[in-house]
Amino acid sequence: MKMLDRFVAKVTAFVKTFQKKIAWMRPKQIALYLILILFAVGFLLPIWVAFTTSLRPEVEVPKSNPLIPPTSPTSAAYSEALGKLGRPMINSLMFTTAVVACSVFIGSFMGYIFSKVRFKYSNLVFLILVAGIFLPYTTIVYPLFSTISDLNLHSTIQGMIFTHVVYGIPICTLLFRNFYTKIPQSIVDKAKRGGAGDWEIYRKIILPASGTAIVTVVMYQFTSVWNDFLFGLVLGGAETQAMPATVALGNLAIGTEWSILMAGAMIVFLPVLLLYIFLGKYFVRGVAGGASEA
Amino acid sequence: MRKPTLIFLRNPTLLIFLILFILMLYFVYGMIAWNIRASFTDWNTAVPSSNFVGFANYSEVFQDSLFWQSLKNTLLLFLVIPCSLGLGLFLAILLNQKVRGARIFMIIYLMPFAFSLVVTGKVWAWMFAPDNGAVNTILRSIGLDRLAGGWYTDTSTVMLSIIIAMVWQFSGYCMLMLLAGMKSIPQKEIDAAKSKGASTFRIYRGVVLPRLKIPILTSVVVVMIFVLKAAFDLIRPWTGGGPGTSSYTLPIMVVNEAYAKTHVAYGAAVANILVAVVLCIIIPYVYWSYRGR
Repeated sequence: MKMLDRFVAKVTAFVKTFQKKIAWMRPKQIALYLILILFAVGFLLPIWVAFTTSLRPEVEVPKSNPLIPPTSPTSAAYSEALGKLGRPMINSLMFTTAVVACSVFIGSFMGYIFSKVRFKYSNLVFLILVAGIFLPYTTIVYPLFSTISDLNLHSTIQGMIFTHVVYGIPICTLLFRNFYTKIPQSIVDKAKRGGAGDWEIYRKIILPASGTAIVTVVMYQFTSVWNDFLFGLVLGGAETQAMPATVALGNLAIGTEWSILMAGAMIVFLPVLLLYIFLGKYFVRGVAGGASEA
Repeated sequence: MRKPTLIFLRNPTLLIFLILFILMLYFVYGMIAWNIRASFTDWNTAVPSSNFVGFANYSEVFQDSLFWQSLKNTLLLFLVIPCSLGLGLFLAILLNQKVRGARIFMIIYLMPFAFSLVVTGKVWAWMFAPDNGAVNTILRSIGLDRLAGGWYTDTSTVMLSIIIAMVWQFSGYCMLMLLAGMKSIPQKEIDAAKSKGASTFRIYRGVVLPRLKIPILTSVVVVMIFVLKAAFDLIRPWTGGGPGTSSYTLPIMVVNEAYAKTHVAYGAAVANILVAVVLCIIIPYVYWSYRGR
């Protein structure tokens, strides 16, 4: 009898765990997953369509269904697009890397001042600085263009770096400040009592503790500088000077060479996609963190 | 006694700070001031000119039908904000249930936000291509031939196509902000409402939504900034403001007048009007969000 009891107990336990395991498959849950998957397909559809078209020979494009991948994929569109995008991709890569490096240092420095050094009216000064995030850059394109031209920086990589670094100051400062307010003030005060100066505290205490903030800002600045179109269009000049990849993509084809255009779009998106796949967590943090206090 | 001006020389940290701050002041506020000054001059040729003409440029702008068309389209683009918020809220509520693989869905929904606006413009141009673009192909295959149309090649649907592309790009961001807001609500409050027998719908309406004021407000402002950016970066490489001027926006008009046509003073006047429109929305936001601190 005891054995039977134990057997029954085991069976009921098994049934219970099994019920728990399949609990998420109730009709309501199934509907939930169906909707989620439907939206996921919808969100991915444009990327899928761009991808299949980029692999198709241009002559086949007008007669084919863009949802179905080509039977005989070719890389012809990629090599043609890369011929026109190669140099601009190198330009973009050059100034984007430089901007990201400068922005990290400037942002962390400014963030440190606003969160740990502070001074009279520092909150007001911070507001004046952060308000710069809201400026639509299209409105100041002409004065910017003439200033950069006066500085002899038009159609140079240096000009692109300078512009992006300056307009990146507000958002990078904001991201670092939000991060540094979480570092306890007592540590800073203790170092100050020990006779450390502002710069020393920044270098020895704040900077070594900013790992995640740095990755977040790298991710944020890389995507926004890489994706920029306006500054590149107005300040970048020709392909051999400092034209970025986004502007070159804009000029790639007049309308309907879809396979080449889609190959170009995939090429320009690739660096951001790679970063997104490997550092997606930090992208989320930058995107959400930048807004949490703006 | 220390002289106050020398503090900055003794303290390199403050000196660097000051240089950076002034640089930023010049390139943000200095440029706005430049525009305001230029808008009162007659600099409307390639040769710089600084004769004061009062409000002449502004009164000309207000008589320009292209300006009203651009303003109308820019305001029409603001429809992206409620649409993205609505879709984002819907997706956030779905993902706030106990969902396996929620992270994967989140990554997929947020991915368009990482796209360059130029890439979005080009990809959606192909999605909406009139002959065999994906949208028309799908509509025809499910028997909705009636809805298949010229999309961005047709003056009556071009803005709709652009709005759809923008909602695709920005709703993932709204989802992220709203979901983060939902996760920060204490489970206790939701359980309390549940124990009183409230339905899921009523819990969201009564307990969750009122707590989402800040993420909603933030999303509105951030999406608005991105819409104004996209009003140039996305539309210019896609339709170029066409067909005709049917998708012209204020940002496109500013850049074309000032930069392409060297109607500098006229472009500056349009730019100032655009800044004024933005300020009307930003100032209440900044006031509201910093009031309590």
